[in-house]
Amino acid sequence: MTSLRAANKEREPLTAARSVISLRGVEKYFPVKEGTLQRVVGHVRAVDGVSFDVRPGETVGLVGESGCGKTTLGRCISGLTQVTGGRIYFRLSDADAARLDVIEAIAASERTRDQVRELKRIEENHRIDQLEGKAWKTYRRNCQVVFQDSFSSLNPRQLVKDIVGRPLRVWNEASGEELTERVVSLLESVGLRRQHMYRYPHQFSGGQRQRVSIARALALDPEFIVLDEPTSALDVSVQAQILNLLYDLQRERGLTYLFISHDLGVVRLMSDRIAVMYLGKVAEQGTATELFEDPRHPYTEALLAANPDIKAKESGMKGLHGHVPDPASPPEGCRFHTRCPVVTPVCGWEVDDAVAWLQDHEALAEGLAAVERRTNFDATLVFHTEEAAASAVEAFHKGDVPPVMRSALEEMSTDGRKVSIKFSPVPPVELEDIGGGRLTACILHTSRGLRI
Amino acid sequence: MIHAVDGVSFEIRDGETLGLVGETGCGKSVTARSFIRLVPTPPGVYAGGQVLFWSSDARREGRGPIDLLTIPKDEMLDIRGDRIAMIFQDPGKALNPALSIRNQIAEVFYQHRSEEILHSLGPWAPRLIRRAARQESSGFERFLLTLPPFRSRAEKLREKVDQLVGHALSEVQIANPRKIMESYPHELSGGMKQRVLIAQALACNPDLLIADEPTTALDVTIQARILELIAELQERLETSVLYISHDLSLVKEICDRVAVMYAGRIVETGTTDEVFSNPKHPYTRGLMAAVPSAAHRRGELASIVGNVPELLDPEPSCRFNTRCPYAVEICRTVDPRTIPVGESQSVACFAYESDDTDVVLPRLEAWVS
Repeated sequence: MTSLRAANKEREPLTAARSVISLRGVEKYFPVKEGTLQRVVGHVRAVDGVSFDVRPGETVGLVGESGCGKTTLGRCISGLTQVTGGRIYFRLSDADAARLDVIEAIAASERTRDQVRELKRIEENHRIDQLEGKAWKTYRRNCQVVFQDSFSSLNPRQLVKDIVGRPLRVWNEASGEELTERVVSLLESVGLRRQHMYRYPHQFSGGQRQRVSIARALALDPEFIVLDEPTSALDVSVQAQILNLLYDLQRERGLTYLFISHDLGVVRLMSDRIAVMYLGKVAEQGTATELFEDPRHPYTEALLAANPDIKAKESGMKGLHGHVPDPASPPEGCRFHTRCPVVTPVCGWEVDDAVAWLQDHEALAEGLAAVERRTNFDATLVFHTEEAAASAVEAFHKGDVPPVMRSALEEMSTDGRKVSIKFSPVPPVELEDIGGGRLTACILHTSRGLRI
Repeated sequence: MIHAVDGVSFEIRDGETLGLVGETGCGKSVTARSFIRLVPTPPGVYAGGQVLFWSSDARREGRGPIDLLTIPKDEMLDIRGDRIAMIFQDPGKALNPALSIRNQIAEVFYQHRSEEILHSLGPWAPRLIRRAARQESSGFERFLLTLPPFRSRAEKLREKVDQLVGHALSEVQIANPRKIMESYPHELSGGMKQRVLIAQALACNPDLLIADEPTTALDVTIQARILELIAELQERLETSVLYISHDLSLVKEICDRVAVMYAGRIVETGTTDEVFSNPKHPYTRGLMAAVPSAAHRRGELASIVGNVPELLDPEPSCRFNTRCPYAVEICRTVDPRTIPVGESQSVACFAYESDDTDVVLPRLEAWVS
C-alpha cells in the first residue's frame, strides 16, 4: 500500500485548507431535436445551476429521483462530459476561492489587469475545463468513477487483471511482474484474491464485479471517487458488504467520495453532508443528521415519508400527488410546486398548471382547442365552443381546482370561445443559506418567505 | 439439473397479502411463475408438488380446489389473466411497445369477457361478430367488419370494449383515461406504465394477484403511490396478493404475512409482526441486520458473508449452511424440517429442534432488534 501512495507524487497533504471539488453554478443542457433536419427545439436542463464544495476526506451524498440530474452531475464532475455553463474547480484553496468570489463579483469590463491575470492563473490551474498538460493529468488520475452497472462498465472480453491493471499501464506505473503484484494487492484490498485475476467479468457475481470496479478506481490511488449508485443493483446483504468496504477504504486511504444514490437509507449511512436534487437543481443541502432529522424542504420531507423504514414502529408510506413535470420545460418559480403538499399561491403557478388540470378532466379537455401563450404566466385558452369555455370557467370557480391555484389566478376573463388567464410572474426560487451551514430552496424557510 | 424451487409449501389465504422475500436467484420469481405455469417446459420440469387453487367461483358452486400443475392447457388459459393475474417487475418491458394502451388492455376483455360483452350487445350475434369478440378474426373478416351490414355491430362492440377499458383505467386513478388509451407505452412515465399494468391485471377482478417486484423500477414517491393504490384496490375487490420483493422494509409496510425464501426453499414464515419483531432463522436475521438504518454506524453494517449457492443437484443439507455463522455438522448433512415456533410462525432451522437427542444442534444468540 505504501508503495502505491509513494507512486502518486502529485498528492498534497490532506490538511491544506481547500476543497477537492468546487462547483459554481454548474449547468448541463441536452438539446431536444425534432424533425428530419434535427432542428434543436429546446433543451433538457439536466443540471441547472448547482453549486457546492466537496472537502478532503468527506463524503457528500447526492440524492434525488431518477431524472433529477444526479448522474449527469457526477459525469460533469468526473470530466466525462462537458458542462454547458458554470465552473468546476479541482483542488481550489480557500484563499483562491475567496479571491475568485471577489473577482467574479466585478463585471468583466471593470476588472483591473491584475485581477484578470489572477483569474487566469486560478482558472488555468484549477478549473477542470481549462486544465492542460500536467495539471489535467493530475486531475484525471485523482478523480475516478465507480459506475452503477458493473456489468456494462467492465469490458467483457478482458481479464480482471487487464481491467484493473489498465490504468497502471496507461500511466506507465508498472509493467510485467510488478504490474501483476500491484493488481493482486489491489484485488486484496477490495476483498478478492489472486485466483480471481485470470477470470472474465461474467464469471463473477454482482457484488464481486462491483469490487473489481472499485479496485480499478483505486488503481492510481486517487484522491476523489465519484460513486454513482454503486449498490443499487445489489441485494441488501451484498450491499452491506460493499458499503463497509467503501468506508474501510475511505478511512485507510483518506479518500473523498461523492456518493450518488436514490436510496435514502444508504445515503444517510454513508454521507457527511447531503444535497437533495430535484429537476436539475439542489432543493436542500445540509449535514446528514440535520437533513434527516429536521428537513427544511417539502421535497426532502416527501422523500422521507415515502421511504419505507424497517425500524419504524408505525407503518405508513406517503406518496406524492400531482404532475411530474417535463424537464424540457421545468416549472416556473419553485420547480417542486406541481407536486408540493404545502404549496402556496406565490410558488410559481403558471399556465401549464391550469392546462394540466384541464387535461385531467375528460369533458373539459375535449373542449380545449388551443393555448395561445404570451408568457408562461399569461395565456389565452381557446375552446371549440362557447359552452365549453363557459363550463371551463365555471369549473375553475366552483370545481375541484386546488384552492391554492385558484387564489394564485390573478385574472380570468371570457370573450366568446376564448378565456384569458393570468398568474402573477414569480422569479425562480434559488438556494438560500438559512444559517448553520444549511441551504434550502423553499420560500417557507427562507427570507423571501418571511416577507410574505 | 438446477433445483430452482425445491419443496416449497405455503398458503395464501383469502384477501390477505403474503410477502415472499429473499435475495436474487433464490427462486422467488420461479415460484410465482409456477402458479400460472409461466415457466417454459422444456427446459423447465415440474418435478413434483401441487399448486392448489380454490377460486371464488369454485367455492360458490361448492367445488373443491384444483391443482394448477395438472389441469389441461386451455383451462390454464382461462384462469391465467382472469382468476390469477400478474404484475411484472419492469413496466417498460412488460407492455408491448407496438400496441396502444387501449389494445393492450382490451385484449384481456376479448380473451376472458367476450361472452359477457356479446350478451350486453343483444340476444343474438352473427358468427363474424362472435369471432371478433374473441379476437379470432382473420384479415378478410376484419375487412368484412368494415362493410355496412356488420359495421354498426362492430362499432358497438368496439365502443363497449372501450368503455370497459376506460373503466379499468379510471379504477387505477388515471385521470382522463380516454387520452391515455390512445397513447403508446413509450409516451408514458414509469409510474403511469405500472398503473396500466395494474389496470390490466385487475381488469377481470382476479382472486389472486401476483405482484413480482412491481415497484423496483420506480422512484420512492411514485412507489408509495402505487402501493397505496394496490392496497386500496385489494381491499375493495377482496383480492389476495402474493407480493414478491427483495426489499424487507417494503414488505414490512404492506404485507400481512411473510415467507422468507432462500436457495429454493422457504426458511421462515409467519405474520409480519412476528417475523419482523422476532426473526428466528439466521438468514432472516442476517437480511434484517443488513438494511441500513439510522441506528447503524458507518462501516459497521452487518452483512451475510458469501453468496447464494448454486443449486445444481444439491445434497441434503440446510442450504444456508455455507453462509451461516452458527452452522454445525448436522446442518451440512441433513435437510432441516419446518418447525412451528410461536403462534403462526414456523422456521426450518435445527436450532429449534428439541434438544433431547445426542446430536449437536446449532445454538443461536438471542435476537436484539
